[in-house]
Amino acid sequence: MAGWSILGNGSAFDYFEILQHLQKNGFYLDFDLNSLKMSNDGGVVGGGSGKDNKLRDMFDQILSVFMKEISVRENILPLPVLLGDGQSVDLFKLFWVVREKGGFDLVSKFGRWGSVADEIGLESGVASSLKLFYFKYLDALDRWLQTVLRDKGISIGECDRNLGLLPVGLKSQLKDFLCNISAQGRISEEQRKNNKVLSSKGAHNLAELASVEKCIVDDDEEVAIYPTELGSVEKCVVDDDKDVVILDKNVVKEEVYFRKRKRETLSGMLNWVKEIAKNPSDAAIAKLAEIYKQNGYGVKELLGMVLLARDALFQSQICWTEEKENPIWQKKQKMHPSLYEDEVDVDHLSMERQRCSPRILSQRNCQMDPHHDSSYLDISASSPEEIDSDQSANPDDGDVRFPKPVPVGPLSQADIPEWTGVATESDPKWLGTRVWPLMTGEQSSLTETISIGKGRQDSCFCRLPGSVDCVRFHIAENRMKLNSELGVVFYTWRFHLMGEEVSLSWTEDEENKFKSIVRLNPFSQEKSFWNQLCRCFRTKSWKSLVNYYFNVFVLRRRTYQNRVTPSNIDSDDDELEFGSLSNGYGHESVKLAASTSITCVQNTQCTNLE
Amino acid sequence: MSDSSVSVSLPSGPDGKKRRVTYFYEPTIGDYYYGQGHPMKPHRIRMAHNLIVSYNLHNLMEINRPFPAGPADIQKFHSDDYVDFLSSVSPESLQDHNHNRNLKRFNVGEDCPVFDGLFDFCQSSAGGSIGAAVKLNRKDADIALNWAGGLHHAKKCEASGFCYVNDIVLGILELLKIHQRVLYVDIDVHHGDGVEEAFFTTDRVMTVSFHKFGDFFPGTGHLKDIGVMGGKYYALNVPLNDGIDDESFQSLFQPIIKKVMDVYQPEVVVLQCGADSLSGDRLGCFNLSVKGHADCLRFFRSFNVPLMVLGGGGYTIRNVARCWCYETAVAVGVEPDNKLPYNEYYEYFGPDYTLHVPPSNMENLNSPKDLEKMRNILLEQLSRIEHAPSVQFQERPPDTEVPEAEEEDIDQRSRSRLWDGEYFASEDDDDQSLDEGQTPRLKSPNLDDQSLVDSGSRDIDMD
Repeated sequence: MAGWSILGNGSAFDYFEILQHLQKNGFYLDFDLNSLKMSNDGGVVGGGSGKDNKLRDMFDQILSVFMKEISVRENILPLPVLLGDGQSVDLFKLFWVVREKGGFDLVSKFGRWGSVADEIGLESGVASSLKLFYFKYLDALDRWLQTVLRDKGISIGECDRNLGLLPVGLKSQLKDFLCNISAQGRISEEQRKNNKVLSSKGAHNLAELASVEKCIVDDDEEVAIYPTELGSVEKCVVDDDKDVVILDKNVVKEEVYFRKRKRETLSGMLNWVKEIAKNPSDAAIAKLAEIYKQNGYGVKELLGMVLLARDALFQSQICWTEEKENPIWQKKQKMHPSLYEDEVDVDHLSMERQRCSPRILSQRNCQMDPHHDSSYLDISASSPEEIDSDQSANPDDGDVRFPKPVPVGPLSQADIPEWTGVATESDPKWLGTRVWPLMTGEQSSLTETISIGKGRQDSCFCRLPGSVDCVRFHIAENRMKLNSELGVVFYTWRFHLMGEEVSLSWTEDEENKFKSIVRLNPFSQEKSFWNQLCRCFRTKSWKSLVNYYFNVFVLRRRTYQNRVTPSNIDSDDDELEFGSLSNGYGHESVKLAASTSITCVQNTQCTNLE
Repeated sequence: MSDSSVSVSLPSGPDGKKRRVTYFYEPTIGDYYYGQGHPMKPHRIRMAHNLIVSYNLHNLMEINRPFPAGPADIQKFHSDDYVDFLSSVSPESLQDHNHNRNLKRFNVGEDCPVFDGLFDFCQSSAGGSIGAAVKLNRKDADIALNWAGGLHHAKKCEASGFCYVNDIVLGILELLKIHQRVLYVDIDVHHGDGVEEAFFTTDRVMTVSFHKFGDFFPGTGHLKDIGVMGGKYYALNVPLNDGIDDESFQSLFQPIIKKVMDVYQPEVVVLQCGADSLSGDRLGCFNLSVKGHADCLRFFRSFNVPLMVLGGGGYTIRNVARCWCYETAVAVGVEPDNKLPYNEYYEYFGPDYTLHVPPSNMENLNSPKDLEKMRNILLEQLSRIEHAPSVQFQERPPDTEVPEAEEEDIDQRSRSRLWDGEYFASEDDDDQSLDEGQTPRLKSPNLDDQSLVDSGSRDIDMD
């Protein structure tokens, strides 16, 4: 396997060394370096070569880190992955086989999950499970890798069939990812406690990381980190071709990732990293990136890695659901239920934000603190202390400062073809059916143009202007006019199924029944009048019930409200405030209130119309 | 307000008064029902239509019934499995275990319920927006309306915020067949997250959203979300606070849009007119009047650029109908009477029965200082577009690359298809001169002779 030698011999990029180096400096701490070292020393484990194991180890760890990372907010997935019959799935193999076949989308598109199963030594019957596993466990990782690779100009195609030929760049990218994770420090306290691999010194080292005060990178590609007393990053000097970039405190972002408790100790380095990540357009950072491009890419360059972290910040977002349970890495388990059903943790606020409707949230927006709420404007710096206290005071309002990132990847964006300058023909079917103006015959456009945009007449000759029957009369009048003008279009647009006229196809008994059912099943008591309606009106279709509801029922209630409770006409929230009017509600009371002799006026008019 | 921002001229010429308007309406749309207590009511679209016809505005438009978009059409954006699910699920099949799993996977359930005719509804909505796009593509219309569209929350693989199929994305994809750059503007009170996400990495679509931000659905739309990779700087977010009124809103909207038009020079604009940004909306928290809302459309209309106008949110349905009827009037260039004509839904608009309702006296939590600060930040952000290296439109491809013969073909075809409504006669001259002045396929809006002429004669009927 030719590819492996690149990995193995790439002494310049010795994985172990890098990790050690990072750990020494308080970076990534989750790694069990000893186990890694064993495989690194060439000890043959299992069937594969040492290098195989090394790659596999690396993959496992990366996956583990990646999943832990996303599981801070999302679902935690059990490992190892077991099929229904207890067979375990080698995620490492799965990952490479799928990638070799062109990735998740292609494999799905061409239905190749069966052959994927074959290649990793499983029956093809588990194809759909594999697809699910891949989606749940590996897809995000793959997407992230692809994006990074694409940015580096390495095409996925360079991975060849024998699973191992990793592009050299990839390896360094993976390391960068590790670095990114640790630099962000988003692994929660709880997880750290429960993770066996993690040593107790974790917290201590993280604190050390934050105490980095100066980070100087010179063109000899040496990273010098000077731990000093706790504080924020004050300067970051990049000395390259006399090009000095100084990021002062103003650039340091105020944001803090930790919500559980105050961690001013981390606000230095971490914030700087986030600043880069969130604001890659910053001129100073662009300059830095420029320098690194010129220099060529070196893994040991701490800043280089950090710069790449910004990509990861944008790209490692995926949306899985959340569970409170922590992963137990080695615990044997059958296929986890969360694989089948994305359980929504309703208690969780961020979850609610992510998934809930305008309804729920808008009901919570009544008392906003204007000062706090305008804080999205504070994109210039303020002191970290201020933000910290603000943060602790409003632990739930993370959205303002930590808005949901926009997910990037094949599952999010539309596929847009490159602009070639050659227009593509659209299918004329999309023009639909022309309804108006009518193809045949001229409309009486002359008379109509005059009244375009005209409202109702100021006055009328009705006995009681504005009364229910007056209004009904004018509506009917208007309807008649419309009918003659529109002709067949009147029916195409279903004007005959609009308004109170719909009630004509209902008997009085039916109407009364409808009314009482709605009244007796108010939404406020979480009762559904629709179930009841469907049961009672078996002869009527669902559509006709809905049609009656909006065209007659609600309309009549509005008629009533307009005359009896004109100050309270919030009837669009129809279902909510019902019943309060009980007996006095509805059409009858309007009749009583308005006039005495309108019982059938409406019906005669409508009959005349037809 | 004379500037050189006019980049694209309409086939009907630069006259700001006359526009050929096409309006897509599905007559059965009003009978779809999300369920008891659900604030989204397709009935509002029927109410709006009724009002439009009652005002006789239909005489100034071509009105089409949309061709329903099929699963394959919807899959141009949405993932196959999601569309399969949408097209097969029904209230009756909900008991099915298989579906049950998918409900969660695709976020279908409480907010985006499975209701009777769900997929038909999506098909009409999407068909209308794609139809509107095709109308504009063929230069059959200057403005195309689809009030059943504008469902901007729908994601590629999941439903969200009452939206299942993102008709906007589908419409824009159709526009991209002919147009190099499409501008999307969203004045719904909620962030236009689905559309932003779909085009987050491209510079061929610029998305601009004005929305309530902070403890509000969907939680995205931060000022600093500006797009990534190729799409960096091509997403713009204007986060606002409760109670914004007409004046404050326009103080942001107009300068920002003007700048966007200047620097991005879109060939076509899609405007999502979600009416939940109106005062008194059941779910919204802004304080815009119908006029203030429609001023956004009016402003775009003053640029000589083809417009697709879509619906969106809007949960106080009487005001939604008012708003979309008025905006239809703005599109056709009519100022309707305030006193509503008698119509089938007349009683919905009581007790005042007027087209316009005064905004409330709620407090505007957007201080002028905040707004100014934000405007400056956004304008600064926009100015980076001019210097962004990935912008291709600064190089005008040589005209010789476009075969002459085909060019004429296209012109003739589109001219013969023009709807020669009486109201809009006498546009042929402009049409012709325009076609001669530009290559129809690869428009290069920069420093084009024609556009300079246009900008001179352009009139903006803003107050």
